[in-house]
Amino acid sequence: MNLIEMNSICKSYRNIGFETQVLNNVTLHIGEGDYVSIIGPSGAGKSTLMAIMGCLAQPTSGEYILDGEEVGKLNDRKLSRVRNEKIGFVFQAFHLLPGVTALENVTLPLVYAKQTPGNAKERARELLAKVGLEHRLHHTPGQLSGGEQQRVTIARSLINDPRIILADEPTGNLDSKNGIETMKTFDNLVKEGKTIVLITHDSEVAQHAGRIISILDGQIDSDSGVHRERNTLSL
Amino acid sequence: MISSFLIAFRALFAHKTRTFLASLGILIGIASVIVMVAIGKGSQKEVMDVIAGMGENLITVNAGEMKRRGGRLRLTGNVNTLTVRDAYRITDEIAEVEMVAPFEEKRMVAKFGNNSAETTIAGSTRDFLIIRDYHLQSGEQFSERDSKTANRVAIIGMTAVKNLFGEEDPMGQVIKVHFIPFKIIGVFEPKGVDTNGLDQDDLVLIPLSTYMRRIVNQKHITRIFVRASSRNNIAKASEKIRELLRENHKLTDDRNDDFTLVSQLDLEELKKETTELFTKLIVGVAAISLLVGGIGILAVMLISVKERTREIGIRRAVGATRRDIIRQFLYESLIIGFLGGGLGIILGVGLTLGLTKWGHWILILDPNSIWTASWACAGLGIFFGVFPAIKASKLDPMEALTTE
Ligand SMILES: Nc1ncnc2c1ncn2[C@@H]1O[C@H](COP(=O)(O)OP(=O)(O)OP(=O)(O)O)[C@@H](O)[C@H]1O
Ligand SMILES: [Mg+2]
Repeated sequence: MNLIEMNSICKSYRNIGFETQVLNNVTLHIGEGDYVSIIGPSGAGKSTLMAIMGCLAQPTSGEYILDGEEVGKLNDRKLSRVRNEKIGFVFQAFHLLPGVTALENVTLPLVYAKQTPGNAKERARELLAKVGLEHRLHHTPGQLSGGEQQRVTIARSLINDPRIILADEPTGNLDSKNGIETMKTFDNLVKEGKTIVLITHDSEVAQHAGRIISILDGQIDSDSGVHRERNTLSL
Repeated sequence: MISSFLIAFRALFAHKTRTFLASLGILIGIASVIVMVAIGKGSQKEVMDVIAGMGENLITVNAGEMKRRGGRLRLTGNVNTLTVRDAYRITDEIAEVEMVAPFEEKRMVAKFGNNSAETTIAGSTRDFLIIRDYHLQSGEQFSERDSKTANRVAIIGMTAVKNLFGEEDPMGQVIKVHFIPFKIIGVFEPKGVDTNGLDQDDLVLIPLSTYMRRIVNQKHITRIFVRASSRNNIAKASEKIRELLRENHKLTDDRNDDFTLVSQLDLEELKKETTELFTKLIVGVAAISLLVGGIGILAVMLISVKERTREIGIRRAVGATRRDIIRQFLYESLIIGFLGGGLGIILGVGLTLGLTKWGHWILILDPNSIWTASWACAGLGIFFGVFPAIKASKLDPMEALTTE
């Protein structure tokens, strides 16, 4: 069974006077433990696809089945639970709470978790160390560089130990050294069995994934399919 | 739930000025409600005290028709049908009446040595003191014999004492009214003004018999003070007095009363009307100021929600439910409401106590108004916070995240 199953997903934004068709009939299945990268030109609809995948937006039409549950039929409480427990987001625009320390930003998902683990602070510290920010625990986003903010976002996405990580340009603001570190982190996460969907412009970064999907004008342009080698490996 | 509360508290703490300004409307509203209710209660009690001070279960029978003019009762016309005999028939024949005091008065000049002052010369019986609740500060009441033999003795009120004697002790002195000498045998305790604002201490009381024989030469009187046997009997006594006087004055059914009855209840009713109007006004003003305060909260919360739309998106993305978001903003508006309410109560109670202590106003703190005010702020906080909070929670997380 696929973890992510999108069937004929369309998304359009209706504004006063005009309608923008952003996703057009996208069908996409991703299995548990897959490492998928999505590439495509700016404005192709990559971030929109990720928002629907992460239950942050509802498709205009089509069916989305996440972990066996039809997302369109879930109520707000269940959807929130899904976002909280199953998905970790790394946003293109970081989306950290302003005026709140890195440590607290990382623990934010635990505020809304069913139960907060006792070692929340400790875990957050470990994760920040993992992304090389052990010396910036008490800095607020305003006091951090773009790359540092991005790494806080990665740490936050991991705090609740989600099965799926949706990352939108995670290396976009990083220098090559930090970029490589980040990609190593993701590679390790895949080894731990996590499912990763990575949006990127960088074809080298995209190569880390076992499957590359290219999006053009809201449609799937090409899909490498699951890399045989990886597939047999994971079996 | 605790975490929502903490989030709300921290958000408010981060915007101290705005939080304070938002609660200012509620603060002023609550404070003014408390102070104004206290003023209302105070003035009501003051009026009721004055009425009660005029004599317990008092019914006043006035000769002639009385008409209300500008909230006060004034006598019209000159009527000479009311007599001392009427007074005694009232006590003798009406069970609900405890005692009566026929009464006559006139503004006259009194002299002591070289001093002279205009004062009210009043004639009545011994029971006048009991019925009208006058007490002696010194000296004594005139005796039965004084009344019978129309002796020239007088009991004097404090205002008249000041005007005639200054600092001197009036006891045993002799004043002259109309060239007639009166010996001062008693001094009244001060009593203050009556419901019409007249000084009840500007008075020289002499036996009615003396008054009727030596001051004026007439058979009729202008007033009878009656004490009903109990508060419950005031209405019944009044009715019986009316019947008795109409019969006594041989008034046929087609003629109006030639007297007017004013009971303690009538006065209370009359004053209640004005205080009730005042109370309604207070409630109106209070409601408006609280509403304005609530709108202040609404405005601040709307701004707060708008400028924190991205924050809402972030929280939703990491797992906050709509309910979590509503709760967070509701707590914020509730805290603002309670902050304003709390400070308003402190200010209101402080002002009330301060004005009573140093302003010499009579204010009565009404615990009810504080209680109601507290509920009002909680209510306003919820009512005016719910709308922006729901608005915030309705957004799609992605929309909230991409809002500029
Ligand atoms: N709320 C909206 N209303 C109207 N159009 C929108 C809205 N949000 C996104 N779009 C449009 O949808 C299209 C796809 O946007 P999206 O953010 O998914 O692109 P992207 O592939 O992530 O691009 P980039 O690589 O630059 O991040 C864009 O053309 C954008 O203008
Ligand atoms: Mg994008």
